[in-house]
Amino acid sequence: MGQAALVDNDAPVVRVQALVKRYRKQMAVDGASFSIGRGEIYGLIGPDGAGKSSLMKAIAGVLSFEGGMLHVLGEKIDSEAAAERVKGRLGFMPQGLGLNLYPELSVEENVDFFAQLRDVPPEELARRKHKLLAMTRLGNFRDRPMKHLSGGMKQKLGLVCTLIHEPELIILDEPTTGVDPVSRRDFWMILTQLLRERDVTALVSTAYMDEAARFHRLSLMFDGRVLIEGEPDVILREVPGTLVELVAESQVEALLRLETRFPQAEAVGPKLRVFVPGAVPQVARAQVEAQLEGLMVNEMQAVAPELEDAFIALLQRRQPAGQDDAQKSRLWLDGDPPKGDGDAIAARELSRDFDHFRAVDRVSFEVRQGEIFGLLGANGAGKTTAIKMLTGILPPTGGAGTVAGADMRHASQAIKERIGYVSQAFSLYQDMTVTENLRLFARIYGVPNSRLAERIGRVVALAGLSGVTTQLVSKLPMGIRQRLALAGALVHGPRVLFLDEPTSGVDPIGRRRFWEILVHLARVEQVAILITTHYMNEAEHCDHLALMHAGRVIADDTPAALKAALQQEAGQVLDIAAEPVLPALEALEQAGFADAAMFGKRIHLLARDITAAEARIRTLFAERGIQLLDIALRTPTLEDVFVYRILQQEQQEASA
Amino acid sequence: MIVRRIVALAYKEWREILRDRLFFTLAFVVPAALMLVFGYGLTLDVERIPFAVVDQDKSAMSRDYLHRYIDSRYFDYKGDVASEREIEPLLADSRIRLAIVIPPRFQESLMSGRAVAVQTLIDGTFPFRTASSKGYVVAINAAFNSELLGSYISRRLGVSEETAQAMAQPVGVQLRYLYNQEVKSVWSIAAVLMMFVLMITPPFLTALGVVREKENGSIYNIYASTVTRGEFLIGKLTPYAAISVINFLVLWLMATQLFGAPFKGDPLFFFLASVIYVTCTTGIGLLVSLFVRTQVAAMMLTVIVTIVPSVLYSGLLVPIASMAPGAKFEAHLFPAMYYTDIVLGSFLKGVGLEQLWGKVLALLIYAVVLWTASFLMFHKRPKS
Repeated sequence: MGQAALVDNDAPVVRVQALVKRYRKQMAVDGASFSIGRGEIYGLIGPDGAGKSSLMKAIAGVLSFEGGMLHVLGEKIDSEAAAERVKGRLGFMPQGLGLNLYPELSVEENVDFFAQLRDVPPEELARRKHKLLAMTRLGNFRDRPMKHLSGGMKQKLGLVCTLIHEPELIILDEPTTGVDPVSRRDFWMILTQLLRERDVTALVSTAYMDEAARFHRLSLMFDGRVLIEGEPDVILREVPGTLVELVAESQVEALLRLETRFPQAEAVGPKLRVFVPGAVPQVARAQVEAQLEGLMVNEMQAVAPELEDAFIALLQRRQPAGQDDAQKSRLWLDGDPPKGDGDAIAARELSRDFDHFRAVDRVSFEVRQGEIFGLLGANGAGKTTAIKMLTGILPPTGGAGTVAGADMRHASQAIKERIGYVSQAFSLYQDMTVTENLRLFARIYGVPNSRLAERIGRVVALAGLSGVTTQLVSKLPMGIRQRLALAGALVHGPRVLFLDEPTSGVDPIGRRRFWEILVHLARVEQVAILITTHYMNEAEHCDHLALMHAGRVIADDTPAALKAALQQEAGQVLDIAAEPVLPALEALEQAGFADAAMFGKRIHLLARDITAAEARIRTLFAERGIQLLDIALRTPTLEDVFVYRILQQEQQEASA
Repeated sequence: MIVRRIVALAYKEWREILRDRLFFTLAFVVPAALMLVFGYGLTLDVERIPFAVVDQDKSAMSRDYLHRYIDSRYFDYKGDVASEREIEPLLADSRIRLAIVIPPRFQESLMSGRAVAVQTLIDGTFPFRTASSKGYVVAINAAFNSELLGSYISRRLGVSEETAQAMAQPVGVQLRYLYNQEVKSVWSIAAVLMMFVLMITPPFLTALGVVREKENGSIYNIYASTVTRGEFLIGKLTPYAAISVINFLVLWLMATQLFGAPFKGDPLFFFLASVIYVTCTTGIGLLVSLFVRTQVAAMMLTVIVTIVPSVLYSGLLVPIASMAPGAKFEAHLFPAMYYTDIVLGSFLKGVGLEQLWGKVLALLIYAVVLWTASFLMFHKRPKS
């Protein structure tokens, strides 16, 4: 890094000032400003269409922009020639899992090609390749064509290819979208390790709010603008408030009452979550209690809000009362909500092979009426294939199943009439209005003409679409389209609903609105819902979860039970803050805490005997002159559960 | 310009083309297949026209007249029918394309010096074939007439048949077909098809190859690296040009060996001119790829900008000289026309650089313009 020495180390690596990017008339980035310091992992967080990709491409010098100023690595980027001057010192990985790699080339050929493109000398290449492939555990797959890698491996190969020329600045556009939690954790480890070894600065975008803790600093982006910028803790301080979690009886009634006073109230599985803005914990508790007077309230807890709560609060500050009344319309007129009895969906030993590849491997589970059942897994884990079999689209290779009382092997037509299905890419007709789409779906599902208007009216009210019925679908934002897709799937009054990654790319407010409707459907209407997602925090909404990995269900229980089982088997999650943090992590790894991992500036590890572990850590840090700032117990997240289960599975397979 | 980077780019591209089934087919199977299909399918010779006759005279002369058709290689005799009414369904079914009706008292009338009309029905659905058929009919009829006249003169003047013939037809036509002595259309077509195939397949392959990278985002590897525009274009396109040269050689072999077209020109000159031509057509694909984002759009645009000029404005179907002034002007705008002249000149006329330098120069200018335009339009920091 000869040039690096010439640059003032305190000067920002990237400085963005009021940057504007337009595509014809469409505004993509609307005056974004921030700067990134040397050695930072800087995050851009926001939903699809927030302008993250455009901003990153502009910084990488692969997209021109219309307004504002941009400095990268000390160079003012105002022309193609200026951009060329810094390209040798930066690495850019575009969005899309491994899409920028060459599918026909092997792992090694891909790496070699990137190295040659970047003028890496052969001896250097051999050394770096060996190290990076070992670090990403791709060493055994050197000769495998890239197209035959799993999603997580593709992502890691992409990272290796981006790093092969040892850039000072790496720009990674949504590197973790659609990747399983283990690969995600691996990915962050590699990034942290690089940071530790060399002075690499990273700009990383993500659609997952829960990854915010991984960044030193971040920008929350929405609609082309930076809503707020800074360290995660600072952002949380900017949006003061308290999160109150509780369990109430009845949940439906409690939620209705809370919503009248607090815009950010939601049901998450058995719990209710309320964000009380601007209130300290005691005040917040009192306010919530007052609102719920007369109801049975248990397990009330006041905790620190998460970044997503802050994000939503910020968005609502910008566009107040953007809510079109979430009406609690009923799905059925006849007053016969089906009784919450029996299994709505039952899968028994379902398998599906594609050529020599087993996409789904003896999967079994049950979903009862009124239950929200989550199928979790990375891209390629077999979720979509499982759903396609249960909805009668794809015949199974083996096993059996019943859906809404019909046998999936023989009565696929009956199944299609009794269920609603929202696919990954919502199958809406872009050039038709909302009402026209709904009318079409209703007719396809055989709703009689006499009931058409009434049915459509119901789902429009239910999905909160009353303001947009005459608009063309192509003009609607993502979140509303998604609700329209849901309305279309409900128009014939199904009792079982299948949702395949319905919330991918939707902003947090849109996601929350969507979940409100789902919770209503399940709790009030007793609809059975099977949903797949790769957002771990969404999984908390589910009553029951099945974790899928490589075609199999590796864990199947309620979220609480899954976490409890983890604590019993592997111990508690310890959350450690130390100074300096990187040597601390190194010390912990050397001392045998194999699963110690960085979460932003903090370190997490699993420990069975907490007091013993704490004592060991204290002595260890004291020996090394590391200051222990804080050590605390944390409830494990579902991601912790998922990672643990996958690793356990892989170990079993390795030993078998 | 760093050669190592160009080689890396070209080698990467080459391996991708060889390993991707679709690209491999497009690169190495489609050109030869096109040549085969069109070579056998596009023969423009009109021969063996199926026909039937209604002979209402059944005399020696009527039989003589009809035998001139029956014995001709241009006609395929399908039989006699009894009446005109039976002809109609045969024509309608396309079982015959032509029918000849000899009227009653054909011989008697001719002998007594009265003119006779032989009704000839020709299927007019394919104008080109109809015109050829009519030409054959008129020629056969004229020959019969002049023989009749000759024998009449010979009888009246008591001279020999030959003298009488010479008197009846003082001016004869002596035809010598040049360049394609047997007037076999496949000779010309096989040669011109080389132009056609090399006009269509290289742009297709090139446009798809470049747009594929845009579509899946791997173009950002290039944008974000220090590879220069020139290095990228050369590295990326060399394999496509090389494949086109290989195809050129394959097509050349097919034209001469499979279709039996004679090659009379200078092979080296033809080879070099063809290399310029494929550089040119590869450049068309490159230019197309800069205007579109998706592979579907690339395919559609390529079809429009390559098939239309190569079919209509190249001399493949209609000679440039017989085009309307507007069309003639348009023909001069496309490279296909120049290469058609080079191909025909090399194959059939045996001419070389002295006669064809103008056409080669036109192609060269074309190639330079296309590549320069592409180079100037290609940006590593685009607007969108």
